[in-house]
Amino acid sequence: MKNETGNKPDGSSTTTMEKQTIVLGVIGADCHSVGNKILELFFTSEGFKVVNLGVMVSQQEFINAAIETNAKAILVSSLYGHGEIDCQGFRDLCTEKGLDRILLYVGGNLVVGKTPFEVVEKKFKDMGFDRVFSPDVDLKKVAELLRQDIREKFRADSKNSEADPEAAESVNFGTRQRN
Amino acid sequence: MIKNQKLDLKEFDDIRKEVLQTWPTGQKVSLEEAFRFHRTIPEERRFARAMQKAREKGRTLLQPRAGVALIDDHIKLLRYLETEGQADLLPTTIDAYTRQNRYEEAEKGIEKSRQAGTSLLNGFPAVNHGLEGCRRVVESLSKPLQVRHGTPDARLLAEITLAAGFTSFEGGGISYNIPYAKRVPVEKSLRDWQYVDRLVGLYEENGIRINREPFGPLTGTLVPPCISIAVGIIEGLLAIRQGVRSITLGYGQGGNIIQDVAAITALRQLAEEYFRQEGFDDFELTTVFHQWMGGFPEDEAKAFSVIALGAIVARFSGAEKVIVKSPHEAMGIPTKEANAQGLRATRQAINMVEDQVIFKPEALETEVNLIKAEVRSLLNKVYEIGQGDVATGTVAAFEAGFLDVPFAPSIYNHGKIIPMRDNEGFIRIFNKGHLPLPEDIMAYHRQRLQDRARAEGRAITFEMVTDDIYAISKGKLVGRPK
Repeated sequence: MKNETGNKPDGSSTTTMEKQTIVLGVIGADCHSVGNKILELFFTSEGFKVVNLGVMVSQQEFINAAIETNAKAILVSSLYGHGEIDCQGFRDLCTEKGLDRILLYVGGNLVVGKTPFEVVEKKFKDMGFDRVFSPDVDLKKVAELLRQDIREKFRADSKNSEADPEAAESVNFGTRQRN
Repeated sequence: MIKNQKLDLKEFDDIRKEVLQTWPTGQKVSLEEAFRFHRTIPEERRFARAMQKAREKGRTLLQPRAGVALIDDHIKLLRYLETEGQADLLPTTIDAYTRQNRYEEAEKGIEKSRQAGTSLLNGFPAVNHGLEGCRRVVESLSKPLQVRHGTPDARLLAEITLAAGFTSFEGGGISYNIPYAKRVPVEKSLRDWQYVDRLVGLYEENGIRINREPFGPLTGTLVPPCISIAVGIIEGLLAIRQGVRSITLGYGQGGNIIQDVAAITALRQLAEEYFRQEGFDDFELTTVFHQWMGGFPEDEAKAFSVIALGAIVARFSGAEKVIVKSPHEAMGIPTKEANAQGLRATRQAINMVEDQVIFKPEALETEVNLIKAEVRSLLNKVYEIGQGDVATGTVAAFEAGFLDVPFAPSIYNHGKIIPMRDNEGFIRIFNKGHLPLPEDIMAYHRQRLQDRARAEGRAITFEMVTDDIYAISKGKLVGRPK
């Protein structure tokens, strides 16, 4: 693994200049905040510059943040079952606003009811998401895929940096319906 | 500045006119008609009555969570939980759009659910279905029915569902804001819940007892008992002040059996004490225990084990009610079959320990005393900065971080405290943020955490918290290093 920037072997970070920016948030009317806080810590420790919008984020807010920060990817979480409704038209809106290369990741408990993951994955890929993750995905794998996808998608741009993943273990995206 | 004072009826009526106009279905609500309808509801379908009876007879009642987008499907679901699940009490869980007062989106959700032939909403959009729709639900069932949700401003929801014949209403100005919303000021939600409680008080004045239940578990994620209990007592005080008489205070299973039993014990004793201290003695106080609210194992066999442990501890704690989870918890909203399975698993576990008396070891007494001392420190501070007023004090306490809920989404919550489990799985506080906990108590917490760190051969770090949060879904209570 290259170690040009991001975390040094001793765990400390170098300058933030070359860090890739990603936008993070929980979409719709969803207020599950635990997993969101953990994702922020994890991706930060993986050497990304994380713009965390927190819970209850609209498509427009995600897009505005991505434009403002020149982000390479938007990571959408949904835990409460309305993901299917909340994510409809997201890709089109990105394109419409000029984000034609942005990577869209989505993960969590995305639909109401226990559904085979392959069905969920197809549904969201058809909607234009680049990657779809189940709640029990290994986060380190997500970080690797993210680095790889950014490299491929933005190849023409300046040489990209890589971070040395060493921190967190595999964790869930978060908790579920409360009350 | 908000005060814990009974809302003036004239002021209530003025607010009421506005509230009922926020969505067309509000116009159909008439209190006179509602009172008449409630008087026709038989005893066995009244929530407050069921809770009081459980207390008198020393029983623990079972209640699931459930709600879907369409009325007929919702009725079918609840009937199934009545018959196949043998639930003692029924819920109507409200969808997340309604909880944020986003009724247009709820309407779309209803439409799309019709088209899809399945619910695309995570609950029942009661405001959109209105008085008639809700009443159809009420009249189709034979068990007491409660509204369960997570709505910072639940005024319209309360107006419609109570008028329709629901006999219990969950929530409170702190517990349905801090863990459920992002930018609702504490003072705003406290006011809106004073309205809900005043409404319940009006029913009470007309001879109709509506049960109220503050939401104990908060974020359901490593919440130290003292925080959950302090919030519950405050919401209880605010409700009683508005005329509520039947109140059920809640607590979410933490995982350590002694701490969980101690928490319910301390909650009951302290609530009684604080209610009387404010001059109330005419109330019916009961408790509810929530089965594990954090992440669940995906393996349904393992999930049943989490459910059964919750059932047993609920019973040993003496709670009058247990809120039941399903084996689908890890994946989100359960099917009706899975929901009924959770109920049956709980019933079996409770039946097996029902007649047993929990032994009272010294550790339990120590923990009860610790929790009581912590809650007193928190509540005394709330009274102090509120100059004797618990509502004023609550707003100031959240501002100052004297009340602080871990992992909450609200921007009005400090989110500074760091809880983690000790070596036996008790939830302890590593960093107290600005909580006004005395040094000797914090020294005890730190010492217990040091014991764990030593046993695990690592320093106390934030990683421990992450490990703890996912531990149960991965098969253990305490998140040990690999």
